[in-house]
Amino acid sequence: MTTTVVRARGLTKRYGSFTAIDGIDLSLEEGRIYGLLGRNGAGKTTVMQLLTGQIFANGGELEVFGRQPAEHADVLRRMCFIAEAQRYPEDFTPAHVFRAAPWFFEHWDAEFAERLIADFRLPVKRRIKKLSRGQLSAVGVIVGLASRAPLTFFDEPYLGLDAVARHIFYDRLLEDYAAHPRTVVLSTHLIDEVANLLEHVILIDQGRILLDRDAEEVRGSATTVAGARAAVEQFVAGRPVIGREGIGGLASVTVDGRLDHDERVRAAELGLELAPVSLQQLIVHLTGAELAESTEKEVAA
Amino acid sequence: MTATASATDSARARATDAPSRVRPNEILRIVRLHTVNPAIFFGVPWMILGGAWAVTMIIALIIQGAAGPLDQAETGFEYSWAVLSPQWYLIVVGVQAVSYTFPFALGFGATRRDYWLGTGLMFAIVSVLNAAAIATLLLIERATNGWGIGAGMFDALWYVGADWATAFYSTFALQLLVLFIGAGITTVFMRWRMKGMMTVLFGGVALILAIIAVLTFTEAWEALGAWLASIGVVGVFTLVLAKALLWAVAGLLVIRRATPR
Repeated sequence: MTTTVVRARGLTKRYGSFTAIDGIDLSLEEGRIYGLLGRNGAGKTTVMQLLTGQIFANGGELEVFGRQPAEHADVLRRMCFIAEAQRYPEDFTPAHVFRAAPWFFEHWDAEFAERLIADFRLPVKRRIKKLSRGQLSAVGVIVGLASRAPLTFFDEPYLGLDAVARHIFYDRLLEDYAAHPRTVVLSTHLIDEVANLLEHVILIDQGRILLDRDAEEVRGSATTVAGARAAVEQFVAGRPVIGREGIGGLASVTVDGRLDHDERVRAAELGLELAPVSLQQLIVHLTGAELAESTEKEVAA
Repeated sequence: MTATASATDSARARATDAPSRVRPNEILRIVRLHTVNPAIFFGVPWMILGGAWAVTMIIALIIQGAAGPLDQAETGFEYSWAVLSPQWYLIVVGVQAVSYTFPFALGFGATRRDYWLGTGLMFAIVSVLNAAAIATLLLIERATNGWGIGAGMFDALWYVGADWATAFYSTFALQLLVLFIGAGITTVFMRWRMKGMMTVLFGGVALILAIIAVLTFTEAWEALGAWLASIGVVGVFTLVLAKALLWAVAGLLVIRRATPR
């Protein structure tokens, strides 16, 4: 039995003449890990701010745990959302944050938080203002994990985290999620990093939802066909092409949709190579090529 | 263990799901949030007051060292504003309470209403404590004849001749007003951003100018002065307290739709 925890219809948010969220429909089920993916400025944070009642929609309907979230204590107490650019009280340290957390999150696990602090090597006595980007992300990740809120949002949790810390987050989230199932929404533009975590993918671009599908389905949903140009073009004729690259007589074309057995045999006969498309590649195809560059740059940095 | 934990959880969930307008725990946790780092509300203001006290002491010692007539100096200290020094900082405290702590509390799942009620309660507690301390220090200063060296910091301005209760009441009202002005202005910013804040600030200036104009053209300054004298220190600070409460109520109305950046 699954319960829908979030239900949105025609949800719209405008800032002056700019439409940040353009009438989206959305539903989140209990006990799943959602990836809210999209480029910078796509509207990921705005969606999370709407769902947590931090900002008010200009139109549409929104129900979280069966009610409007804003100003409803019984809805808000079941959610945890530490924004990527979260503001903290003046001169707060991580220690202050973790001391206050149990008053707001009834399922707060202080021991778990302590373990995570050690894992991430977070200096809890240092003022938040003085923390590095990665340490700041760690504060949000620790609050999100240890709060065990039935609906937990992670806003760009990987920002600035080193490889070890990313791995710790990945492990701890899966471990704790298995022991304490809940609904997790993870927003990021570093898609490859989280691809294996996600059970469901919501791709958002320019305030609209481009893709809202089971992650397994998405992973197998596109194929890259590579080989001699003429053979490739012959094979993909009539199929929905979502990406095309080529050098000289060679071509590599990405097509949407699964290939069945007969089609695979035919491709082999034509001497074509078939390769599955990663989540990131697919999303780059869907939202434009610039994403790949920006992602690579961030990972390198 | 897990079973009992989830049983109490659901019981608790049922208890809090019951429709209730008063949620003491939700409001008190905001007060606790404000006291997690006591430097904000207590540390810095009292450091400022302590600094002002030290400066006053040094001035008194310099006057004494120069063998100046001490009784005249004591009269001079009555014009010292040192006792008000922490009030300016409390404006900042009020601003920060909304600009930093409010977005944080929202992220932690507090409602705007509970946040404002808790913050108002915190303001009241801080004002009571500070007012009691300052009124008591005033009496100590008098009893020790100016800290033993004829210095005067607390026995100044309207505190001259005031008893403990009057000193307490006036300080309480003033602190509350200062805190709520800082927080109130910032809620306007949180809701309508710069445009709203400018409207309120210019509106406030226009209102003050209008009052000055009316008083000047109707030649009512003397009458106003006489009226203020007739209501006395307590009366004037009752007006201050009323203003603080006005800001408190306005802040609640504004913050209900305020959004952090």
